[in-house]
Amino acid sequence: MVGPTASLSTLSRADGSACYKCPTTGYDLLGAVNAPIELPARRDALKPEEATVEVFVKPGNTTAGVGERYVEGILRSVLTKVVLGRERGFPRRGVVITLAIVGGETVTRGDSYLTILPALLHTSLLALLSAAVPLSMTFSATLLGVNKSGEIIPDVSVTDAKSVSSLHVLAFTSKNHLLLNKSEGRFDFDTWEKVREHALSICRKNTIFNLDGDVAMGDGEESESQGFIRETVEDRLEKDYMWKIDSV
Amino acid sequence: MRPATAKWPKKSREAPHVAPTGFVRIMSKEAPLSIAERDFILEALREDVRLDGRGADQFRPLSITFGDEYGHVKLQLGKTSLIVRISAEVTKPREDRPFDGLFQINLELSAMGSPAWENGRSNDLEAYVTHVLDSVVRRSNALDTESLCILKGVSCWSIRADVHVLDYDGNLTDAACIAIMTGLQHFRRPDAVVRDGQVVVYGVEERVPVALNITHKPLSITFNSYNDGTTIILDATRKEEQASEGEIVIGINNGGDVCFMSKFSGSPVDAMEMVTKSTVALEKVKDINGQMEKAMQTDLAKRAKQGMADLSRAENDR
Repeated sequence: MVGPTASLSTLSRADGSACYKCPTTGYDLLGAVNAPIELPARRDALKPEEATVEVFVKPGNTTAGVGERYVEGILRSVLTKVVLGRERGFPRRGVVITLAIVGGETVTRGDSYLTILPALLHTSLLALLSAAVPLSMTFSATLLGVNKSGEIIPDVSVTDAKSVSSLHVLAFTSKNHLLLNKSEGRFDFDTWEKVREHALSICRKNTIFNLDGDVAMGDGEESESQGFIRETVEDRLEKDYMWKIDSV
Repeated sequence: MRPATAKWPKKSREAPHVAPTGFVRIMSKEAPLSIAERDFILEALREDVRLDGRGADQFRPLSITFGDEYGHVKLQLGKTSLIVRISAEVTKPREDRPFDGLFQINLELSAMGSPAWENGRSNDLEAYVTHVLDSVVRRSNALDTESLCILKGVSCWSIRADVHVLDYDGNLTDAACIAIMTGLQHFRRPDAVVRDGQVVVYGVEERVPVALNITHKPLSITFNSYNDGTTIILDATRKEEQASEGEIVIGINNGGDVCFMSKFSGSPVDAMEMVTKSTVALEKVKDINGQMEKAMQTDLAKRAKQGMADLSRAENDR
């Protein structure tokens, strides 16, 4: 299996940005974060002690519709939990996340939006990291399908997603807590439990899996903990601090 | 020190200068130029010097790259960068134009391009750029919409060009125009035929997809004027745009046919400038169309090679 590819800080005008390409679904996403930013109409925010998280999903070759509004809602609720909106400089201001689908197939009306949700979650996390927005934790998400005979399919493509009996998107935090669960289709609780376990094992590989900043050593767990998100951020840091690393 | 000859900038055109509030940027407003910066740009232009060292009639370096699909163009003009995606679908033609297909240019500015743009809310720039693009590309009939008709009054192709602005550093109009024209020429739509009154659309694997019918290749060229119309420059950056007094847009094709000309707002310029600048514009359009053609030919040649290699591989199923 080929993992996703991503790079950080690709745009110059936005505070933080990330581009992300998922090989199984073929989606090519670009995320930009502006934070903290003064929102013109939000002076009387509902929660004045916190930052307002705004998410905008821009489809590649259609106008935004109900599907986009739906994922925006999911992303907003997840990211509001993750962003530390009470940090200095953030209350009453906005964290504006813009996600554009720049390549791959478009989600047509009536199709499940769950196929793109993990990619959107990863892109927004990477963009937030790139913008140096304070976060309480990182997370990792995955998409799993269950076919009619009850088997779990890990790498669901867009065409596969139409034939499976249920689709599940699960996100786990860097502390291995379940952060998000969205399921579609018919399934029973035993199936979901199996899906959860499978998803946890995938996400553990992806997240920065260490509790107190120290890397778990031995038992071959080191390679597992070096997740994809960490690698992406490390790559960027190495590039940014090239001058310093070289001089040592 | 401020030179004694330099005039104070006109204050009437500009909103009162707001002192920056810490590190927080304010949405829905581009950070205004400081008085010193504006003076510097204007004074330099008076001596025929631009911030990035270009000549007055010089474009920023242009780079055109293509994505995996047909009609997916990534364009970079200096620091302005955008992506254009062309897509096609079969729809019903309009009642009053049964022989015509549909063509639509869609430009939505999001907070990605500039923090000054608010998501989901249109602004003046968006309306203005859409208007110019519509006039130069769509209404000049650059894409022959009659060739998009499949069955009279029943089905036709609807072509859609989506512009995603990634980074905004001035001259959005020209950049978007170049990208859309490249996209239209690069795009291949699936082949469709009418058999016994039934429309059959062939998949990309079944039949070689067909290129769109382009009648001519117009591009918009934007000029900005300074110092009471004495200095007129091409392809202004964002800062130059902010210091500008007025704008002239000329839409012209390779053959020298002018299809759009606008002196939209700002201070007046000499009428002769419109004539001289259209000669400059023609020269630029020929140059850019050449670059565009070159980039496209390299990409299409690469695609043709790859396609053949995939099909003629020995391990394929026979």
